[in-house]
Amino acid sequence: MSARSTALRGIFGHPVSGYDQRSGMLLLAPMMAVLLVVAVFPVVYSFWISLFDLKLTRPHRVPFVGFDNYVKVFHDALFWSSVGRTAMFTVMAVSAIMLIALLMALLLNEQFRGRRFLSAMLLVPWAIPYVANGLMWKWIYDSGYGALNGLLYQLDFIDKYMVWLGDTRKTLPLIANAFVWKEVPLATILLLVTMKSIPADLYSAAKVDGADVWRRFFHVTLPALRPGFTLVMIYETMMAVRHFDLFFILTEGGPAEASHVVAWEVYVESFRRLSFGTGSALAYIMALVTFLLAFSIIRTMGRKL
Amino acid sequence: MSVAFARVGRPALLFVASVLFLGYVLAPIAWMVSSSFQPESEITSVPPHWIPHAPTAENFRAIFTTGEQAVTYETRRQGDPATGHFIPSTAKNLLPSMGNSLIVALAVVVLNLIVSVPAAYAMAKIRFIGRSTSVYFMLTTRVIPDIALVVPFFLFIHKLGLLDNLWSLIITYLAITVPFSVFILVGYFESLPDELDKAARVDGCSRLQALLRVFLPLALPSLVAVTLFTFLTCWNEFLLALMFTQTPASQTMPIVVASFASDFTISFSFINAAGVLAVVPPVILAIMFERYIVSGLTAGAVKG
Repeated sequence: MSARSTALRGIFGHPVSGYDQRSGMLLLAPMMAVLLVVAVFPVVYSFWISLFDLKLTRPHRVPFVGFDNYVKVFHDALFWSSVGRTAMFTVMAVSAIMLIALLMALLLNEQFRGRRFLSAMLLVPWAIPYVANGLMWKWIYDSGYGALNGLLYQLDFIDKYMVWLGDTRKTLPLIANAFVWKEVPLATILLLVTMKSIPADLYSAAKVDGADVWRRFFHVTLPALRPGFTLVMIYETMMAVRHFDLFFILTEGGPAEASHVVAWEVYVESFRRLSFGTGSALAYIMALVTFLLAFSIIRTMGRKL
Repeated sequence: MSVAFARVGRPALLFVASVLFLGYVLAPIAWMVSSSFQPESEITSVPPHWIPHAPTAENFRAIFTTGEQAVTYETRRQGDPATGHFIPSTAKNLLPSMGNSLIVALAVVVLNLIVSVPAAYAMAKIRFIGRSTSVYFMLTTRVIPDIALVVPFFLFIHKLGLLDNLWSLIITYLAITVPFSVFILVGYFESLPDELDKAARVDGCSRLQALLRVFLPLALPSLVAVTLFTFLTCWNEFLLALMFTQTPASQTMPIVVASFASDFTISFSFINAAGVLAVVPPVILAIMFERYIVSGLTAGAVKG
């Protein structure tokens, strides 16, 4: 039972001194003010905008349309196909992140010389900006002179250079790969902490029972990693669903809408078609979906506290 | 069998796994660095030169000196007769944009700490009505996707007349960094014993004095972590900067680098050089402060 559990459960029943009440609220006030202005207000305002047909191309006539923007979004075939692409991107990315992070965490959980160096290098992809990550992969995937073509060609896997990002069947997996590379370090760190918290007794008990390495992995390690996996899954799902940067830098939604995901649709609707009303409705739908995911995050964390 | 495995098999397995690990993590970066030093004739070779045969620092020289010399169509052609598209005239915007990124990041770090530290202390150490509500409130704001904030922010910033002004970024970056900072700090303050607080109060400290004199010095590791996370978030942020900045006066590094990457007339050799410069500061910070980052991330995500 940490001190946090009392913080989350509330403090009714404990006597609260007037001084504590005042000083608590005073110390909290700056953060509350900032969050009200920069987080709560925009969310409320965004909902308000989504009820109007606000187009920047026609700034002086802004009719109230109620939920028409939402109806319009739900009747848009492009919206549903982009939902499908976002879902596909998320499933591919999150499952790859969990698999690679598991392998990396298993390695870093061993004791050997060079382990410290590996864990320091692990932070490199985590630290770099998505923009740099994007241009790096754009160059690797380049169909004319890129490293992917060069490598596969030199290894004799292909006999001539191929088109990568420009091939509609490969676009989403390739963008997911760039995303995975950058997100794997955080997932590895989170899994590693969970792994280190597994009591050594469990392993020695399993050894006494005659369990080999594989059995110990499947019957001790994997089940004990469940909270770590849950956390990584929910966090990375949220990150993947809202991801925008790589879609902007690598493909701009193309080719032929092959990477037109929901986040890209929000951007295009708001800032290219300058239709803020429907853009806000889209953003709001996305925020609601994220809130549902967040709800499960808070619940999982609440269970652990 | 088992002894033999311990002698030879295990080290060999760990070695192979380490090589794969490092290859996955570092190879893309290494390729970016290698490309940034290749002249145009090498960067367009098939198959690629993994290590430049005739390395050149031309791209970096251009970025650091184009402020002084005008880049015209003729000088660009001269720069590379083979393709005619070597160094963009916007190369001179990169260094000022890194300056903008630095200003924004430092300002947000300072404001963030001023706001987050007292709030985290109150949530962790003071009993008052509304505390648990504020914890839930903070957790909820942490998960609002930035893309949902873009349109209302844009209208808000537009009304304030702050478009194309660094303040627009400083204000909005607070929204995306404060919840996470508070989250990490609350976890850290809670791990410090309550007795410290009581002892300080008995000695006649006010709450604020207890925070400043007793807790802040002890919380230094978490302050370092929060400072780093905030700095890196601001340095790397792209979406909001894309919306609110329009001219080099306020453009941050990611925007200028992205403008290079989306211009297909610019040599990839130059784009990679810009990428290298964008990557160097965060990578140095991450490696220097690895311990703080890892403990902060795990505290924030797992314990919190």
